[in-house]
Formats: sequence, C-alpha cells, structure tokens
Amino acid sequence: MGYTLQYGQVAPYLGYLAEGAMLSFGLAAIGFLCGWLIGLICAAISEYGRGPIRWVVRAYVVFFLNTPILVQIFFLYFALPDFGILLTSFQAVTIGLSLNAGAYLTEIQRAGFRSVRREEREAAITLGFTRLQAIRYVIVPHIIKVLYPPLSNQYILVTMTTSIAAIFGIEELTGRAYNINAITFRSLEIFSITALYYVALTFFASTILYGIGRYLFRIKAKVF
Amino acid sequence: MSELELFLHPGNLRLIWTSFLMTASLSVLGCGIGFLAGFFLALMRNPRIVPFAPARWFAIVYTETFRRIPFLVKLMVVLFAFQFAGLNVSLFTIAVTTVALTAAAFASENVRAGLESIHANQWDAAEAMNMGGFTALWRVILPQAWPVMIPPSMTYSVGLVKSTSIASQIGLFELTYAARIMTNKGISAGLAFGTILILYFVLCYALNRFAAWLEVRLATTRHRRA
Repeated sequence: MGYTLQYGQVAPYLGYLAEGAMLSFGLAAIGFLCGWLIGLICAAISEYGRGPIRWVVRAYVVFFLNTPILVQIFFLYFALPDFGILLTSFQAVTIGLSLNAGAYLTEIQRAGFRSVRREEREAAITLGFTRLQAIRYVIVPHIIKVLYPPLSNQYILVTMTTSIAAIFGIEELTGRAYNINAITFRSLEIFSITALYYVALTFFASTILYGIGRYLFRIKAKVF
Repeated sequence: MSELELFLHPGNLRLIWTSFLMTASLSVLGCGIGFLAGFFLALMRNPRIVPFAPARWFAIVYTETFRRIPFLVKLMVVLFAFQFAGLNVSLFTIAVTTVALTAAAFASENVRAGLESIHANQWDAAEAMNMGGFTALWRVILPQAWPVMIPPSMTYSVGLVKSTSIASQIGLFELTYAARIMTNKGISAGLAFGTILILYFVLCYALNRFAAWLEVRLATTRHRRA
C-alpha cells in the first residue's frame, strides 16, 4: 500500500479545473454545432441528392462512423502536414470533433428526414416551395420532435469525446487534470475529481436539454 | 521507396497483426465481461427480480455516473486505482477493466429497455403459473426481450472497439500504439495512420453489418411469434 488519499492537496486546483471545464464545454459546443450543420447538409444530400455527390457523402459517413476519433485526429494532425496542410492542435481537434460528430448527426438527421411522409413534401412542392424552402419551412419544424432526443444524447457524447483533446496538449478539463497530476502527483484524487466534473457537466447539460425539450418543443420523451 | 520497404518488412507486418489481435481481444473480452455485468446490473434495477432497494440505488448511481465519464478519464482512474490498491496488474488488465466498466453501464441501459418492453401482464401471468422471479425471467421474459436488447448492444460494442484506441495512452500495445511505433521507425504518418484507420474500419464495419443483419433477423422472428 503506502498510498493515502489526500484530497486536500487537490483542493486549491478546483477552480483551475472548473476553467478547464468551461473550455470543454466550448469545444463540445463548437464540435456539436459544426457537426450539426455538416449533418444537416449531408443528411439532405444522402436523402434527396443523387449521383457522385451522394456517394461521396455516404463514403464520408460510413468511414467516420467506423473509425476511432482518436485516430482520425492523429491523421489530421500528423499526416496532413505531408500533404502540405499544417494544422495547430486546436484546429485538428475541432475539425476532427466536427467531422466525427457530423457523421453521427447525418445518420440521426437522416432518420428524421425519413420520418417525413412523401405527401408532405409533395404538398410543399405543390404550394410552390422550392426544394430548400420545403426543407426549411415544412420538414425541419415537423421532425424536430423526432430528432430532439437523439440530438441531445449526441451532444452529451460529444462533450465526453472532447476529453481526447488532452492528448493533443489542449488544456481543457482532462488536459488540466494532467497538468495538476504533473505538479502534485496525487493521481487518483485528481482523476476521480475530474471524472466527477464530467458527470456534473453532462448531468447539467442533460437537465438543461431536458428543460428546453419539455417546455419549448413539448417533448415528453426522456433525454437522460 | 525505402519507406515502403520498411512498411512491408515482415517484422513490421507482424507488429501490425499482433496489435490488431490485441485490439480485437481487448474489445471481445471487455465487452463480454461488461455486458454480463451490465445484465446483472439491469436485473438489480428491477424490483420484481431483486426486491432490495439499496441494490437498485447502486445500479442506478453506477449507470448514471459511468455513462458520463469519458473513456480517457476512466482509464486513468482505473490505472491509478489499481496502483492505490497495491495490485501489480498488466496494462491489458487495466484496459479490459475500463472497457468492461464502460460496457456494463451502457449494456445495463439496453437490457433495462429490453425488460421494460415486455408488458407487465407477462410477469403477472408467470407468477400466476407459480413461477418464481428468476424462472419467469428466464422462461417468459428474456425469450421475448432478446430482440430488443441485442441489436443496440451490438451497435454499442462498435463504439467500444473504437474507444479501445484510447488505451494506447497508457502504452498498451494495440493498433493505435502500433501506428505510433511505425511513425517512430520512419514510416510516414499518412501510411501508418492510414493503415490502421483501414484496419479499424474493417473491424467496425463488419461488426456494424452483423448488428444490422441481426436486427432484421430478430425482428422477423418476433413478428412471426406474435
């Protein structure tokens, strides 16, 4: 044995960790929003598009769904310089997070597009909506109820994925935990507290998302 | 040209193959243990099977927290917890434990969804036929619940295979670690990471197709029975 838990030594760093949690939140928000946009475009293409662009989108989604995000970011960070594209670690992580989230969000939103009946689209076209307008005014408002629970779930998953940024030297929650570990060597204490920070962060997000869904969109489905 | 020679050297190919096997065995063992544990956790949450409130609370707290901790942080906690306990275990054991802890939390949710998808009347009917909790579970509930439980668990295990790449952070010799060794040997990052991306893809895509196939197959049996 010879190791006694001393949470007291970690106490001075709680605020420092909380700032890291803010960065984690920011990374998750960027990753999720970009991914959501990518997902929306790709879902529309893979449902309504045809020809080569559809194949490209399908290939992107299938590839990113079936490979680990850590290796994707490694590739962006270490392999792209060979092709003349230099990314900072922050850029590599945000691009990787967005592309990875984008693939998942494409699949989620595609299921949403599927849930719209064909007649609805035809009615919108008959009323003189262009294809884009039909998506914007008819399809999206209709499917938000189907989409909201899996979307909020994905947001939580993206938040947890941001911890990978620490591997690339970004000082978010996990990165700061590594820093404190290097100073104090109270490893178990630090990482268990970091784990609790993540539980709190995602639980907080889940609660907010549940509230928004419940009172804004009248969704009764469970978010967490 | 010399880079390609380095890459195709038998020693290098064996390195890739060994690490591939490591990733595969880590996933299989971790998911196996984890899903079994998750199954029992879900049973603990069901008052009809385990009528003991503290067990239920434990199961709820466990699933709600362990689903919310990132794999990397969990890996660190497990690593240092083993150290704290004074156990001298291999890196493989640490990684398997982490995968299993994660799998248990998610699997227990899937199993719970499966159990809840069965109408409560089925339990009552089983009780009326003088079946105990476990007999009812085994003979009546589970045969109907498998189709709901298994496909999402299979899909989730793909996610775990991908998470195992993070185990390279503690120095476990799996695919991602092998890629980093290759780059240290002078093979370009594009070739090294590209290769293991393809290997991960093959593994995960096969699993995903199997899950999709299973889902269709199980769904049809369910319809035939009804």
